[in-house]
Amino acid sequence: MRRRVVITGMGVVTPLGHTVAELFANQTEGRTAVGPITRFDARALPTTFGSEVKNFDLRRYTKDADRFARCGLNTKFAIGAAKQALEDAGLLDTASGDRTRIGVYLGVGEGPDNFPALVNSAAAAVVGDRAGSARFVAAIRPALDPRAESEVEMHTTVGHLSRLFALDGPNASCLTACAAGSQAIGEAAELIRAGDADAMAAGGSQSMLHPLGVAGFTRLGALSHRNDSPATASRPFDLTRDGFVIGEAGGVVILEELEHAKARGATIHAELTGYGSTADAYRMTDPHPAGKGAIRCMANALADAGLNATDIGYINAHGTSTAANDAMETTAIKAVFGAHARKVPVSSSKSMLGHLIAAAGAVELVISVMAIQKGVLPPTINYATPDPVCDLDYIPNAARGVRVDHVLSNSFGFGGQNVALVVSRFRG
Amino acid sequence: MTTRSRRAVITGIGVLSPIGSDAAAFWSALRAGTSGVRAIRGFDTSDLSCRIAGEILDFEPKALIEKSYRKSLNAMSRMVQLGVVAAQLAVRDSGLMKSLMPPERFGVSFASVMAETDIDDVAGLGAACSAGVGRPVDMDAWGRTGVPQMPPMWMLKYLPNMPACHVTIMHDAQGPSNSITTGDLAGVAALGEALRALQRGAADFMLVGGCESKLNPLTLVRLDVFAPLTREYEHPERAVRPFDRDASGTCVGEAAAAFGLEELAHAQKRGATILGEVVGFASGVDRGLTGAGLARVIRNALADAGVQPADIDHVNAHGVGVRELDRFEARGIGEVFGRDVPVFAPLSRFGNTGAASGILELACSVLALRHGELPGTLNHDDPDAGCPIAVHTGPPQVVTKPYAVKVSTTDMGQCGAVVVKRWDNA
Repeated sequence: MRRRVVITGMGVVTPLGHTVAELFANQTEGRTAVGPITRFDARALPTTFGSEVKNFDLRRYTKDADRFARCGLNTKFAIGAAKQALEDAGLLDTASGDRTRIGVYLGVGEGPDNFPALVNSAAAAVVGDRAGSARFVAAIRPALDPRAESEVEMHTTVGHLSRLFALDGPNASCLTACAAGSQAIGEAAELIRAGDADAMAAGGSQSMLHPLGVAGFTRLGALSHRNDSPATASRPFDLTRDGFVIGEAGGVVILEELEHAKARGATIHAELTGYGSTADAYRMTDPHPAGKGAIRCMANALADAGLNATDIGYINAHGTSTAANDAMETTAIKAVFGAHARKVPVSSSKSMLGHLIAAAGAVELVISVMAIQKGVLPPTINYATPDPVCDLDYIPNAARGVRVDHVLSNSFGFGGQNVALVVSRFRG
Repeated sequence: MTTRSRRAVITGIGVLSPIGSDAAAFWSALRAGTSGVRAIRGFDTSDLSCRIAGEILDFEPKALIEKSYRKSLNAMSRMVQLGVVAAQLAVRDSGLMKSLMPPERFGVSFASVMAETDIDDVAGLGAACSAGVGRPVDMDAWGRTGVPQMPPMWMLKYLPNMPACHVTIMHDAQGPSNSITTGDLAGVAALGEALRALQRGAADFMLVGGCESKLNPLTLVRLDVFAPLTREYEHPERAVRPFDRDASGTCVGEAAAAFGLEELAHAQKRGATILGEVVGFASGVDRGLTGAGLARVIRNALADAGVQPADIDHVNAHGVGVRELDRFEARGIGEVFGRDVPVFAPLSRFGNTGAASGILELACSVLALRHGELPGTLNHDDPDAGCPIAVHTGPPQVVTKPYAVKVSTTDMGQCGAVVVKRWDNA
């Protein structure tokens, strides 16, 4: 029989709270974290708002915060989330358990940015309309801090978690755009199922709230422009939605092989029962309009969990608040769930959190687990004007008390990367 | 452990490297001991401290890429172009016909990184809002006149998942898809993940690849300030010295390599030529770089494959030519194999190709097992006493055993090992 994977720890650093309890309370109360960007001066940009992590202090999570001072927010948020998750799971003590059987798998975004140096050096390099590489190099070199530059290397975030928490098992990072956090959790579960590890700290961490990140999404036409009302800008499935709200976060869950968790008397929050990963193979920027890849990834996750669509009590949608995603996701849910699609409640955590990019799937899985544990489904806020093509029950504006046993969580990324996870109430 | 009745075989190889850009040219250059490490020609390096690299001089993506996809090249950084073309070469080599493959059974597992921006892409917008080096950026100008000059698809040129995404679109690969970013470990990790996907039945064909180009002014100047690059390169082809007493640092390179990895019965049913079998994988971390953790990972990979050290023809090491890192790797390999199994380190031929390194370096062993000859390691003249291994140098030696082990490591101790087997029509 296949090795079963349960969730024994959870931790988050999000714009709506730095603990799982605070995050879920804010989600069920329908609070938004979206507001003007304060991280840098964004006033002249087409989009001036985002969903920022506020009052984050790395010293709460490690005695050696100075050691990580030059790390990017990707690493800092990951440390905060992983510390909480390991503590929750009772695995923080580095002498506990066989550390060679505990690994790390995160969807990780970019490291520290050096926007002023890049822009100024590129400008200094311009002669005619081609940039001179030697002038560029000469201009930027004095502005480069070796310790920060080494943190740009993409293997460092998961490497730091290994070192800080003595996790010597498989160590991997992925970046499949907005699907990365879910993908890391799904692949980490597969490592446990295959016997490559007994437990994994898995999730995602990213901040694109820096000038080039916001500009890049602006140029792709992906962001909401509702500058006069940031708090209502993220409005998934609403007719007047006009793009997503850029956010940032870290989210980590501890996945553990069932017998391993039982043997050490761990508290089991839920069971990770299903994982599906597919590609649209369609276009770089647009999802397949009929949801070809999304349909198969949800169906694969259900089959992997051994469940029927009617077993699912709640869908935590990808629900980005872009015109294309929300219409496609609705179509895909209808294709997979048939008549049950009208009965199963669907909501988007992004209506309150914004889009946490590589962290989105991880934080949303934590919310899904909490929904099972607390019997409360968080709403989709800012839902005002129904869209005829988005005609499901989106739990509009107010949380709902419902007991659910199985939750489907969707994550779809640029380039047509689709991941679905199924999390279930644990039954021995 | 789960029962693993499904086996994974390599049915296609695609290589773009500083020593050759098709499998035949690559193999003959490997045999001949040709080095691809040279003075950088692609751009002016006068302000860099390390001015050599493994550069691909003959890469012509327009000529190589499928015609229908040619216009998309503009939306790809060099890393993405390399990855996409290597994948195409591997698919072609595998003889896979799109129409015969159910798209949902065709997956992609790629190793890559966040590529650095081309300077030309940000020069214009920099000029629009820079008040000079060392001065704060005029954020008002940035928003009003800078950002509108950014190429609309700028971000998509550089993201790590772009090679895999283009590959899924080009080949209608709708199965599982992932992009792994764990530095020099990423290639082996991507291969391990694909192996498990085939074993558990999530796909029948996985395109496994890795790509990276560190030959970019921004990447090179960044590496120049913190990475252990050699400063001794009067003779570029002699500069990177794996496990050698005179190791003085590494140099970078650019490459892409890809395998068609296929479930055995699927490959046999369509009469595919089988180039080798992937039989074992393991990964983990050796935090202290002591070698003990690496040895554990290698032993786990051998156990996964069901083989003993005595079954191994050679170990394919990363061998970056940095003393501390080479000693770490050698201690791990030495603890498992002693000096009984020869070590081959291909990196000194093409520099550290990062996310491409795992698949590119492993391709050398797959070809060596297939051709029955193991090329020698370049620039290992005086063994470093801190490296308790026997490095194979000089002319090719005859392959005597059916298995090889590929080891990949990072400077943070992340390590992985893959066991491959020669295909004997068994």
